[in-house]
Amino acid sequence: MNSKLQISALDLRLSLMAAVLVVMAVVFHAATGTFLTPENLYNIAQQTAVVGIVATAITLVIVARQIDLSVGSVLGAVGVLIAWLMYSKNWGWISASLAGLAMALAIGLYQGWLTAVLGVPSFVVTLGGLMSFRGAAFLVADGKTQPITDATFLALGGGLDGALGPRLSWALGIVLVALLVWSGFARRARKRKHGFPLRPLAFDLALMAGFSIVVLGFVGLMNAYRLESKPEAQGVPIPVLIWGVVVFGISFIANRTRFGRYVFAIGGNPEAAQLVGIPVRRVTIKLFMLLAVMITVAAIVAVARLNAGTNSLGTGMELYVIAAAVIGGVALSGGSGTVLGSVLGALMIQFLDSGMLLMDVSIGSRYVIIGQVLIVAVAFDVLYRRWTGERIA
Amino acid sequence: MTALVEIQNVHKAFGGVHAVENVSLQLHPGEVVAVLGHNGAGKSTLMKMLAGAYPIDSGEILVNGHAAKIASPADSQALGIETIYQTLALADNLDAVQNLFLGRELLTRFGLLDDDAMEQAARETFHRLNPNFKNIRVPVRALSGGQRQVVAISRALYFKARVLIMDEPCAALGPEETRMVHELVRRLKSEGVGIFLITHDMPDVFGLSDRLSVMKNGKVVGTYRTTDLTEDEVLAMIIGGKPVARVEQWAPQ
Repeated sequence: MNSKLQISALDLRLSLMAAVLVVMAVVFHAATGTFLTPENLYNIAQQTAVVGIVATAITLVIVARQIDLSVGSVLGAVGVLIAWLMYSKNWGWISASLAGLAMALAIGLYQGWLTAVLGVPSFVVTLGGLMSFRGAAFLVADGKTQPITDATFLALGGGLDGALGPRLSWALGIVLVALLVWSGFARRARKRKHGFPLRPLAFDLALMAGFSIVVLGFVGLMNAYRLESKPEAQGVPIPVLIWGVVVFGISFIANRTRFGRYVFAIGGNPEAAQLVGIPVRRVTIKLFMLLAVMITVAAIVAVARLNAGTNSLGTGMELYVIAAAVIGGVALSGGSGTVLGSVLGALMIQFLDSGMLLMDVSIGSRYVIIGQVLIVAVAFDVLYRRWTGERIA
Repeated sequence: MTALVEIQNVHKAFGGVHAVENVSLQLHPGEVVAVLGHNGAGKSTLMKMLAGAYPIDSGEILVNGHAAKIASPADSQALGIETIYQTLALADNLDAVQNLFLGRELLTRFGLLDDDAMEQAARETFHRLNPNFKNIRVPVRALSGGQRQVVAISRALYFKARVLIMDEPCAALGPEETRMVHELVRRLKSEGVGIFLITHDMPDVFGLSDRLSVMKNGKVVGTYRTTDLTEDEVLAMIIGGKPVARVEQWAPQ
C-alpha cells in the first residue's frame, strides 16, 4: 500500500474498524442517551473480557488454518472444576486454578495431537469436544452449581470490588504511555542505526499520540465511574487488566517469537512450511495448548464474575469467540489476522449487544442482527481483500 | 575423489507404486548434473528424498563419503543441501525477509526474532542477485515471478549451500531472469557447489550441465556426459526410455 508510511492493508483495516466502533458508540448514544456513560462503558469493558481473552488465542489457531469449536465447553468444564475444588473440596483458589489449567492443557494436548499427528480435521475433533466437554462440565460437579466466596478470587471477575481504583489506574495508564513512546523512539533509533528507511517523524508521533489518547482516555473514563456507596472511583476493572496482559502477551508471541512466525507460515502455505523444515505438528500441538492456557484464564474470570461455577458456563461462547476473531479480520483460509483485530471484533459484538439491549431490542432480534452483522463483516473482508489485491484462497 | 553426494540403490514406493526404483547417482563438487524425464518419472521424488521431504524406503545416501541420515528437511539443510522447489516453497503472506529465513530465523540473545539482523542480511543477499529489488517488506504474493525466485535462491546463497537442488528453476521466468539464474549456477559451480538441476528445458541442460541422467518410470535410463550427446538423442531417451548406444555411458571412477 503506502510504502513511505509503511502502512499495510491490515493496518488500514484496523483503523477502519476502530472508526466503525466510534460511529457505533455515537449512534447508540444518540438512540439511548446512556451508551457513552462511564457506567455503561465500564460494564461493556468487563463483559467483553472473557470472550476477548479467548479470541486472542483463537485468532492464532485460525491463522494456522485450524479451528476450535470446543472453547465454550472446555471453559465450562474447567470453570466448574475450579469452582468444585474450591467449594466442595476446600482447595485454595491458586491450587484449584492450577488444577483447572492442568485439565485444560490435557484437553489441548489431546485435541492438538488428534489434529496434528493423526490428521483428524480440527473441525471434527473440536465438534466432538464441544459435546464431550459440555458433558464433562455436568459430570465434574454432578450438575450442581458451585458457589464461590473467596474475595481475592472474586476480584478477578471484576464487578464492584474488582477494579484497580483511581491511583493504580492512572499509574498503569502513565506507565503504558511511557512504554509506548519509548518503544516508538527505540524502534526509530534501531532503524536509523541499520540505515533502514524511516517513516516521517510526524506520522510516528501522531501514532503515539493516538494510542496514548486511547489509553489515557480509557483510564479517565473508568476513573469517572464512582458508586454512591464507595469513597473512590472504580478505575480499570481487573478482567480488563487481565485481557490487556493477554493481548500484549499473545501479540508478543505472534510477532517476536519463532513460534509465532511459524504459525503464520503454516497458515500461509502449509506445504512450504513443511519443506523448509518447520516442525508443523509440534507447532500445531503447542498452539492448541496455548489456547488451553487462555481458556483457563478466561474460565477463572468467568467463574469469578458469576460468583459460581455452573454447568452451563460458556455455552455458545465458541460462536462469539470465532465471530470476534473473524470480524477482527482473521481469514478462515489462514495466514492472515491480528490479535488487535480480535480485540476490536470482540468489542464490536459487545457494543451491538449492549447497545440494542439498552434500546430494548428483544433477544430474538438481537441474535438475528448480530448474525447478519457477522456476515456483513466477512463480506466486507472478502471485498476488501480483493480490492487490496490480497489472494483469497 | 570422494563424491559430494552419492545416491546408492535408493527405492521409494507410494502405496503399490514404485516411484523410485534402485536409483544410483553421483554428484561431485563444482559439477552440474541435469536430471531429466517426463512428469512422474521419479526425478522430483528422488530429489525430495535428498531434501528430506520424503523418507527413503531403502538404499543409502552418502554425503562426502559418509552415510547420511536424512529424516527431515532440517537434516538435509544441516548437511549443506539446499533445495529450490519449483513451487519455490514461499509463504505468500510473509515478506521476503521472513521467507528467506523461514525455519532458520536469526535470534537475539534472548531467543527472540532478530528482525534487524535478518533484514540487514537479507538486503545484502538480495542485492547480490538483483540490485533493484527494494520492496522486501511486503508480502511476497505482491512480488513478480523473478523477485520470488530471487527470494528462493537467496536461501541457498545465504545458507552457503554445498549441494544445490534446483527443480525447474527457469520454468516461470522471463529471459532476463533466466539469464540471472544461469549466471548464478555458473558462479556457484565455480565456487565448488554441486548442483542437481531438474529440468525439461534443453537450453538449460546444454547450457549448464556437465552430465545428465534420464529417468523413466522410477528408474535411471542412462547417465552421459552432456557434450557426448545431441539434443535429439536426449529427447529420444526421455520419450523412449532406451539408453543411447552410440556413445558410452558415464561411469563413476
